[in-house]
Amino acid sequence: MTTLAPERVGTPARRAALPPARVIADIALLAQRNLIKSVRMPMYIVFSTIQPFMQLVLFVFVFGSIADIGPGMSYRNYVVPAVLVQTMTFAGMGSGVGIARDLDTGMIDRFRSLPIARSAFLVGRTSSDSLRLGVQATLLVVAAMLMGFRFGNGALPAFGMFVIVVMFGLALTTFSAWMGLTVRDPETVQAAMFIPVIPLVFTSSAFAPISRLPGWMQPFAEWSPVTAAIDSARGLALGDEVLYQVNQVHLHTALWHFLLWWVVIVVVFTALAVRRYRLGS
Amino acid sequence: MAEGLKKRFGDFEALVGVDFVVPEGALVALLGPNGAGKTTTIRILTTLLRADAGRATVSGFDVATQPQLVRAAIGLTGQYAAVDEDLTGRENLVLVGRLCRMSKRAAQERAAVLLEVFQLVDAADRRLRTYSGGMRRRLDLAGSLMFAPEVLFLDEPTTGLDPRSRLDLWDVIVELKDAGTTIVLTTQYLEEADQLADTISVIDEGRIIAEGTADELKDRIGGDVLDLRVHDRAQLDLAVTTLTREFGASESDVTVDRDLGTVVVPIAQGSDSLVTAIRMLDGAGIGIDDLSLRRPSLDDVFLHLTGHAAETRVGAKKRRARIPAGGG
Repeated sequence: MTTLAPERVGTPARRAALPPARVIADIALLAQRNLIKSVRMPMYIVFSTIQPFMQLVLFVFVFGSIADIGPGMSYRNYVVPAVLVQTMTFAGMGSGVGIARDLDTGMIDRFRSLPIARSAFLVGRTSSDSLRLGVQATLLVVAAMLMGFRFGNGALPAFGMFVIVVMFGLALTTFSAWMGLTVRDPETVQAAMFIPVIPLVFTSSAFAPISRLPGWMQPFAEWSPVTAAIDSARGLALGDEVLYQVNQVHLHTALWHFLLWWVVIVVVFTALAVRRYRLGS
Repeated sequence: MAEGLKKRFGDFEALVGVDFVVPEGALVALLGPNGAGKTTTIRILTTLLRADAGRATVSGFDVATQPQLVRAAIGLTGQYAAVDEDLTGRENLVLVGRLCRMSKRAAQERAAVLLEVFQLVDAADRRLRTYSGGMRRRLDLAGSLMFAPEVLFLDEPTTGLDPRSRLDLWDVIVELKDAGTTIVLTTQYLEEADQLADTISVIDEGRIIAEGTADELKDRIGGDVLDLRVHDRAQLDLAVTTLTREFGASESDVTVDRDLGTVVVPIAQGSDSLVTAIRMLDGAGIGIDDLSLRRPSLDDVFLHLTGHAAETRVGAKKRRARIPAGGG
């Protein structure tokens, strides 16, 4: 039968070549695969979107009724950027679960045995996850606005806030990718990531100004990447003055901290994850 | 193709030194029990794992220094079907094809052909969760054939398949070989190696312990083997002594299964040996349930070479945790 082995498609040398256009195409193909998979799990999308909605309701209406953040700001406005960042954090952690599952099913071996760029798998995963994060952030902002949240600083900074929260989620996907490749078991990855992430989220300016946290917690909270991300988002959404009034920090300081943290997290964990991926087991 | 490959996982020495050559267009079977180092060898040859020492080339490319070229020349089908559950059969194939630099159209056309060859047309547009194990394996193999690789690696392609699916897959492998593809196949089934391979490399505890065609390996035992089952197991030892003395076989070549009461004795060729054996056993007062003379099977060869049976050996599975797609 001639159908099984047709005329060879190109030569190995041609198939092995990796011009930039090819790398981008590979990334796009792998990202597309992840997106198709997400869309085919509608229940996953529904549940992972409903959960942050409920958090919004909890913080805006339940805690919002007792928490007093000081003059000039409602707790609702204070907490919405925090819920956004928190949601991006948890959503970013989903990356590692997907990667561990690909390890488990042998898909990673399949991709590693193909002549594609070594970075394509991880970058493809991060790209599709960013899109997923963007969609989730948009839905959440719309919901928050329906609950009375208002941007107080103009359209462009509002968009900036959007970029910051998605960027933060993206940084978490690199951490999560490394965890996924290291821990290797889909169920364990999820649990393992909560251990460093949960304290980080709560030891920050997320739900209360740092000045109201216990004294021993304050230094951690001040230098936390989560504080930097949330305060940046707050400053952009509500304005520098409001941010300074409640948290005694200026927007440019928060942004600086955020960018620094972001670069460190992304560089370190991308390097670690790529190394893991290349080495295989 | 491979020279002195070594690989260690912690304390476990998976490969002690693996050497073998696969002529172009040939089908070589790497035969050995679980944990012998089959999958580790394949993973090194397909660039998924780096050897600690040694050198290997595939299709003229060095696996350590030109991995990208190796990857562009090979197809790999692992022990567990590496296919995406949430995609359809067709989507799986097209994805692999496009990642191998086929145009969308070429990938779709090729996928359609392969789906037909592998009898997956009806299921082509269904998601894989509805596929049986055999269908997944076929699809996985189809994925490795999207761009007609120069060298195809099949790591235990039929492990866990039902007999029918196994025979179907054998047909496909024979066709591929006839079409000129160089194939490296690992298996723990002696029958599979016997049926498919031009030459067999027997691997055990991380080294190649014998090489040759199935017939050459069988000739190592000498002539034929005598298969005996005694009626009363208490007479087993007496039977062994009687037969080894008569046929001049050393005790170490004789295989005894005390549970089944069977003895396998290699003997020099000769059709009258059956008669001799019956006379000797009868003379010693040993009751016989079954006695036959046959050509040695690869099982006998394996036993002869390693001192242990091929398919019953357990252990050395610990590193599964570190190499989920591995095992051989």
